Amino acid sequence: MLMQQLLNGIVVGSVYGLFALGFTLLFGVNHIMNMAHGSVFMWGAFAGLFAVLQFDAPIYVALLIGMLAGGAVSVLLDLVAFRPLRRRGGPEFSAIVSSIGADLVLISIAQKLSNTAVMRFPFDAFPVIFFSFMGMRVQLLQLVIMALVVIMVVGLVWYLYRTSFGLRIRSVAYAEQTSRLLGINPGPVNMQVFFISGALAGMAGVLIGLVFNSVHFAMGEPLLLRAFVIIIIGGLGSIPGALIAGMVIGIVQTLSVAYISSGVAEAIVFLALFVVIVLKPTGLFGQPTAAMRVQRA
Amino acid sequence: MINFFNTYQSLLDHILVNMLLAASQYVVLRAGVFSLGSAGFAALGAYCTALLTTKLGWNPWLSVVVGMMLGTLVSALLALPLSRLRGVFQAVATLAFVQIVLSATQNWVALTNGPMGVNSIPHAAGTASLLLIVVAVVVFLVMMGRYSFGRALDVIREDETVAVSLGISVPYYHRIAFVLSGALAGLSGGLHAISSYSITPQDYGFGLLVAALAMVVLGGRTTVWGALVGALVLTSLPEVFRVFADYRAVVQGLLLMLVIIYLPRGLADTVIAHLKDRRLRRTAAPPVIAAPVGVLTAQTRSRS
Repeated sequence: MLMQQLLNGIVVGSVYGLFALGFTLLFGVNHIMNMAHGSVFMWGAFAGLFAVLQFDAPIYVALLIGMLAGGAVSVLLDLVAFRPLRRRGGPEFSAIVSSIGADLVLISIAQKLSNTAVMRFPFDAFPVIFFSFMGMRVQLLQLVIMALVVIMVVGLVWYLYRTSFGLRIRSVAYAEQTSRLLGINPGPVNMQVFFISGALAGMAGVLIGLVFNSVHFAMGEPLLLRAFVIIIIGGLGSIPGALIAGMVIGIVQTLSVAYISSGVAEAIVFLALFVVIVLKPTGLFGQPTAAMRVQRA
Repeated sequence: MINFFNTYQSLLDHILVNMLLAASQYVVLRAGVFSLGSAGFAALGAYCTALLTTKLGWNPWLSVVVGMMLGTLVSALLALPLSRLRGVFQAVATLAFVQIVLSATQNWVALTNGPMGVNSIPHAAGTASLLLIVVAVVVFLVMMGRYSFGRALDVIREDETVAVSLGISVPYYHRIAFVLSGALAGLSGGLHAISSYSITPQDYGFGLLVAALAMVVLGGRTTVWGALVGALVLTSLPEVFRVFADYRAVVQGLLLMLVIIYLPRGLADTVIAHLKDRRLRRTAAPPVIAAPVGVLTAQTRSRS
């Protein structure tokens, strides 16, 4: 029983990690908190579901469509909500407010489209196959999710640290003015980062929609709040931090839902956040520079 | 006129209560504290007031005072660790506080009735008394803003290094602003409880947090008038534009984005700065000293 819950926690936690990865990447490069990241996630899930329901798309196509939709919404956010502010050099505070506004708009459009209904993937969208492993029931879906997360993370790390695109992203993250002097145009770099983080969120959206078998317009908000916890505990802008903290939060949440109650689970998670932020604001894996980069509101 | 008043009385009450909430958010933002905790303190004040009046039968006004004191006390405790943090970290820590309060109100069923909320709270606060309280708070904030306290907050917001070099203790003023914000939010929550018959946990979640922030951003965050204008506009907008009731969140979201991008100082602050500029230009002598009059100098000169 405990092992089973641990496994479920790790699966959910790795999807959380995937979502938080995009969130932390945006913070690391652009130094913004994208409060609309939760609705990017939700729109990814909507697009995947739409592909399955309307076109009978197989699930891997739905995943791709979810990723593309998430990336597109995220790039649109950059163009509409963040770029005008960046051009003016507005403080961090205004980016947060502007993305809250964008979040409200995206959520209410989705609410209109879905008529406030909770939608589900068809039962046979993903083959339900169980394996028995050391007394645990392991679903095929869970294995696929873990494999996907590993592939995405390895791919992202390869992209960031082994390609020239990644080099540009890292140099803009480190010092935007200096990279401008060196001939790197930050515009396309930012757009890439927004696309990548949106695609990760869109994929997480389809996966969470499959795991819990429900897709609805308000699914982004709880995940966004959890992502806050994850990236703070893991350290702002830290990739391994986001993944490990995502797993931890997933496990803690699953265990406390199973053994105590779901309300207590929320309280425990946010209490942990509060303790970490007060005692060690840079998180477990964050670098002190990340904290220094944070400007005044 | 009387008819009009009767139709819109509950809206008016709501606007007045929201003005106090916006004032609470304004106090912290003016000091450059990025706190999102007002919704949490409002929840504490509201639940304290509602439970004291319904379960123990206390006098509603006395319970409001106790609710406000609870908000003050909790914010004083939180202020100690929070004054060490900055920017995004303050925002996320206070967000965590709001979520903790929210899950307590939802899950501590024995005390708070859980998601059902507290019902049949005596309706003790009339429009007149609410108006009186708002006026008193505004007078208090305006007076305080005019003297060294307000100036210290302005300097800290504009440039912390300058504030430190002038001998202003940043953590001290951050703490005071945060405690004041907690007290005002607690008051606003308590008054909301005794002017709206029932409260539920959902009233004090992420939505209220966003609303408080939106009011101050829309109105402007350097003068208390900004908070008042923001509360007035954002609370009455959905009522006035009933046609758009379905698209209320869209309108609110677009408004937030447009204001922060194109009018970053907010409605009231832009107007006030404009008026001050004009007055300065008129009183300021010949164009010999036509050096560009910055905003900061304009403010300090007109105040002295």
